[in-house]
Formats: sequence, C-alpha cells, structure tokens
Amino acid sequence: MKTAATGKKTRSRRTLSKTDRFTLSAFVGIPTLLQILLLWVPALVTIILSFTYWNGIRLSDIRWAGIQNYKTIFFNEPLFYEALKNNGVWLAFFILVATPLGILLAYQVDRGIKGHAFYESIFYLPVVLSLAVIGIIWNFMLQPGGFVQGLMGLDIGNAISIWGNPDINTWVILGVASWRHIGYIMLLYLSGLKSVDPALKEAAAIDGATEWQIFRKIILPTMQPVNIIIVVITLIESLRAFDLVYIIYGSPTIFPLLNLLVFQNFAGQGLSMKGAAYAVILLVLCIVPIITYLRIVFKEDLK
Amino acid sequence: MSEDTNSVSRRSLLKGAAVGGLGLVAGSTLAAGSADAATRLKGSTVRWTTRGGGATGDKIAKAVNDAFTKKTGAKVVAQQVNSDDFQNNFAQIMQGSPDDAFGWMAGYRSNHFGELGLLADLTREINRLKGTLPTAAIKGATSPVSKKPYILPTTYYPWALHYRKSMVKEIGMNPEKIDTWDDFIKLMTLTQKKGLVGYSLGAKGGWEAMGTFDILNARINGYKYHIDLLNGRAKWTDAKTKETFKYFAQLIPFMNENVLDISWDGMRDLLLQKKTGAMMMGSWFANDFKAKSQEDYDDLWVVPFPEINPKWGIDTIDAPLDGISVAANGKNVAGGKALAQFWASPEGITEAIKAGDTNIYVSRSFDTSSYDSFNKQKLAVLGSAKNIMFFLDRDARGDFAGPVVGPAIQSFIKKPSDINKILESVQSQWDALPKN
Repeated sequence: MKTAATGKKTRSRRTLSKTDRFTLSAFVGIPTLLQILLLWVPALVTIILSFTYWNGIRLSDIRWAGIQNYKTIFFNEPLFYEALKNNGVWLAFFILVATPLGILLAYQVDRGIKGHAFYESIFYLPVVLSLAVIGIIWNFMLQPGGFVQGLMGLDIGNAISIWGNPDINTWVILGVASWRHIGYIMLLYLSGLKSVDPALKEAAAIDGATEWQIFRKIILPTMQPVNIIIVVITLIESLRAFDLVYIIYGSPTIFPLLNLLVFQNFAGQGLSMKGAAYAVILLVLCIVPIITYLRIVFKEDLK
Repeated sequence: MSEDTNSVSRRSLLKGAAVGGLGLVAGSTLAAGSADAATRLKGSTVRWTTRGGGATGDKIAKAVNDAFTKKTGAKVVAQQVNSDDFQNNFAQIMQGSPDDAFGWMAGYRSNHFGELGLLADLTREINRLKGTLPTAAIKGATSPVSKKPYILPTTYYPWALHYRKSMVKEIGMNPEKIDTWDDFIKLMTLTQKKGLVGYSLGAKGGWEAMGTFDILNARINGYKYHIDLLNGRAKWTDAKTKETFKYFAQLIPFMNENVLDISWDGMRDLLLQKKTGAMMMGSWFANDFKAKSQEDYDDLWVVPFPEINPKWGIDTIDAPLDGISVAANGKNVAGGKALAQFWASPEGITEAIKAGDTNIYVSRSFDTSSYDSFNKQKLAVLGSAKNIMFFLDRDARGDFAGPVVGPAIQSFIKKPSDINKILESVQSQWDALPKN
C-alpha cells in the first residue's frame, strides 16, 4: 500500500546503475569513514578524557575524575576567564569591524572605483601568508629591539611595551589579525559579488534606488549563501585563534586564548585531561552558535 | 640491581618487537657490558639534541660528538632546538621519535619523566662515573621516589646578581663590594639616575622572574620555608609569603618598563649593551658574552644576592643542575647511553671546555685551577651558600610551576597592588591540583 510519492522515490532510486551506486557509495562512504575515524572518534575520546585524571603518558595511570576538571576550570583558573574575554573581544571585533570592513572593501572594489585592482592586490596580499608567518613578521617589527622600535630610536632598555601591555596588546593583536581577515573576507565576498547579475542593480538604479538600498535590498539577499559562509568563518576564526598569538608569546599566560590553554595543558605540562576539558568547552562554544545560526537561516529559507 | 637490568632489557625487547630486532641488539649490548658496547657501537648512529645555546652551543656539541665518534666509531647526528619549545613539548617529543641523548635538567623535570618511563635509567652509567662525580651531584640527579638516576649530572650554575664592573665603577661604586641590600639599592638608584635600567627583568615566558622570587623568598623566609611553600607544606596566603612580595614590589620601580615583553635573552642584551645596572640570572648566558668579545666577558661579574634577613644571611642559592638524559624511546638507547656517559666523562668535559664552554662542571676530574676569574667567582658564589635550590620550576611540580606560579608573577608585575588576590588564587589553584 504505497503512496504514489514514495513509490516514485523507490523507483527513481532503483534506476541508479550498479556503477553509479558503487561510485556514489565510494564518494560518500570513504569521506564519511575518514570523518568518523579522524574527527568523531578523537572528539569522543577527548570528551571521555575530559572526565578523567591523566597526564597523557601511561594509559594505566588514568583515573576517573567526574566533573572535577570542569570545576577546576570554572572556579579555580583565572586564565580561563581571561581567555574567554579575549576570545569574546576577538569575536566581537571581527563581527563588528573586520568582517564589515572586508565586505565594504569588496563592494567598493566590485563597483570598480579608481585603482581598484591596486587596492584589491594590496588587501589580498596578507591572505597568502599563514597566521604563523604574520605572527613572525609583526613580532619582528614590534618587539623590543625590533624594527619599528628601532625606527623610533628606542633600544631594548626603553622600548615601548606592546605585547606585554594589557592596555594595548589586545588591539594590536586584533589589528594584526584583521590585517589578514579583512582581505580574506573581501576575497570571499568579491567572488560572490561577481556572480550577482548586474542587470538587477541597473534595474534598481533606474527605479531610483539609492546605493545603500541596492546593497541592502538586492545585493545582500542574493548573496545569502556567501553571507552564511562569512558568518560561520568569522565565528570559527575568532574562536579557534591560536597560531598568531602562540608565535608571539610562546605561552598562553600573557594573552590567554582558549586554544592556547588547550595546547598548553596537552603539551608538556602533564595535564592532558584539563586540555581535553578546555577542548570540549571550545567545541561547545563553536558548535552551539553555528548550529543555531544555520537553523535560523535554513528555516527562513524554507519559508 | 638485577631488577634494573631486567627492566631495561625488557623495554629493549619490547622495542625490538616494534622496530624489528634492533632493540634485541641493544639489549644484548647492555648485557655484554661496556667493553663490548664500544665495539658494537661502531657504525651505528646516535642522535643528539642540543638545547639552545646558539652558535657556541653547536660548536661545543660538535667538538664533544666528534671526539665520541673518534673514540667509538659511532656516528652522531646533532640538532639544536629552541630550549623553551623543547621543554614545553617534552612529554610529546619523548613519546614520539626522540633523539637518543640530549642536554636536560635535574630535579622534577627529569625525575618525573623518568618515573613515567620516558627517560632511560642511567644507574649503570652513573656508577661508572662514580669516581669523578661528587656524592651531592649524584644525589641531585637521583629521583627520591624511584631512587634511580635519569640524568648524568654535568654542569651547574648560580642564579645570582650579575652586573658589569665598568658600569659599577662609572657610578662611583666598588664592583668588588656589592654585599649588602643597601649597596644593591644604591647600585640600582645610581644606575637609574643615569637614565638606564636599574634592575632588569624579563617575564615574557613567566619563568624568568621565578629566579628573583626564589632568592627573595629564601633570603626573607629561609630555605626550608621556600621548599615547603613549593611543595604545599606552607601557604601562599601566609604573611611570610606576602612579605616576600613586598620586597619584590620594591624592585619594580627600578625595572625596565617592558618586563612582560622580554625573556632571558632580552635581559642578556640589556647587560651586553650596557643598559642595565644589575640583574638576577643564571650564569649560563656568560657564554654569549665570551662569544661577543673577551672584553665584554672580562667585564662581567657575579655576586650572591645580598642578605635581607640576618637570620639566613646568604645561605641559599638557586643552582640548577644540568646534565645529559637518554630517551627511553630512542632508536639507539645503548648508543645514547654511551654518548651521555661520554659527555659526562672527563674526556667529554675537556672537549667542551676547549670549544669555549664557560660552564662549571660538577666532575671532580675537572681542574678548577685553570678557571678564569669569572668562573672562580662563580665557584665562590656557589660556595657561599649552604642550601642549594634547583629553581622554582624544578623544585615544584610541573603542573603548578609553569601554569600557576608563572602567570601569577606576571599578574603581580602588571598590578602589584593585586597581590593578595593573586596569592589567594595561587593557593586555591594548588588546592585544586589532583593529589599525586
């Protein structure tokens, strides 16, 4: 007693040839298997590890700890709240300043303002560098005895404190991170903009729409898929921030970030389980907003 | 003793299963004893890691390793690593494919990893060196828990007050007589008046400033209190600990503005470039003075940190003991042990000194009469102390020193007035550590 619809579905599935089915299962199966093996299994192990005491060396030393690691982190670890604050400021800055700037630049470049090719390459340049390399470059410039301090005539003895100064280091680091992020967002958005039919814009312009109206009512909605990618990327980039700061400081104590704490506890200090607990906290922080955001977006789409 | 041998060969056997028989050869080599070991070593490759030290470090390693090759016929492949990175990732490196032998640190850092089976037991090697090693050095290299040595002690150095004689003369003081707290304050004040840094400190990594804390605490509250504090038998919230930080706070106005931006190498450069009056540091950096010029090296001086509490005088010093350890998971454990033993032997020491090593060796074979005046002074500084500390991050457990005390000192330097809050947090973090 099948309905017509399900009957149709089964029939269309049956029309797949043997080769098709093999190719399909290979293309879906192998990545799924790898995903499970390399991502879900380690994630699960990490979650389990976060409820134990373990120094990460001999498996026989492992002991059950319940929620003790989380209790320690939440109640007894000043670095955790500093890291949370730093990651939060990072996220806010990227969402409110860096990402909008990247979009603005993409829009201007796409409009073909004078010398746009020049601007495009200038802003794109940092994107080819990894954040680790960017860290090396800026550390070399700004550290005591570095290039910029030297230009200002300051030797090590009277060099301005930049990385160690809690009043400014956040902004300098965010500036350096944005240097790359802005170009990255610009590039992503630009590729989206190129695919917007210029006829739409022209039509709107003829109807008397202002520049801002065109952007809001035409460009933004047609760019929906790119917008989703950009929001998710901004979220992830801010929460997973690590390499830049690690290169500059080498340790997580002056400018703590969640990822630095994951790493510090895992590596060397014999606190794998606390590193695992940090990793789980970070995972939750990454996944919850992204899933919520995607659900809202897809619900709107369905409407 | 037989248990030792058993555990070593069992480990080697296990390794043999993994790397296809190679471990079996190593196992039998060990059983056969040292004479055979030399012949078996011939043609094998031993991997060596130099922990920091720049060009001088490489030069010393090459000299010693070449002499080892000449003696045994084993090839040595050496690399130099960044000292901090090696230290921070040590457990990971030792569980991966570590180099066979490397320069390492005595105290918690070797005992802990040795007890966990990552460092090879060097009982046999240390027994062979017994004739030249003082008992104190052997004791310092032996784990109090397992009673086994996981490091062959080679050098040690004082953490003490360093300055340049010429600069002290320039401000009208006698460089041979910086003895009292008042002399020390006067030296910093006069240097600062010249527009220079009175007392230079770095704390970018967090550990550099531990030397200053160690000595202040030992001077004010004594050796026993300090060690008790680091092992949980005294409290960080205690009035005595707070007193130490009061003295620490007195030093802050004399310090460079960028304490949190520089590490030990920045401190070294400050002194090298004649920008600072005094600093509390381990004497190992003297190698770099010598590498720069003999004149700079001759100008360098070191004295014990001045007395604060007459009850203790200057009876305590941070004098970390360094040495050579062997990775239990190395490809050539027997070769690593032989190389380690060579580095710690009179022959190896001679080669290192010839190549420009200014370190003080613990070995009795080592002739101190040929010491230059700086090294003689280092010996005198070491000799002035009755109690030897190993440095905070070797005297306290690893999950406390780096992750808790380091950032606490950094926060203190950022905002000294927060000290009570900071110390409460340190104490509650100690209390939250899993009990071993």
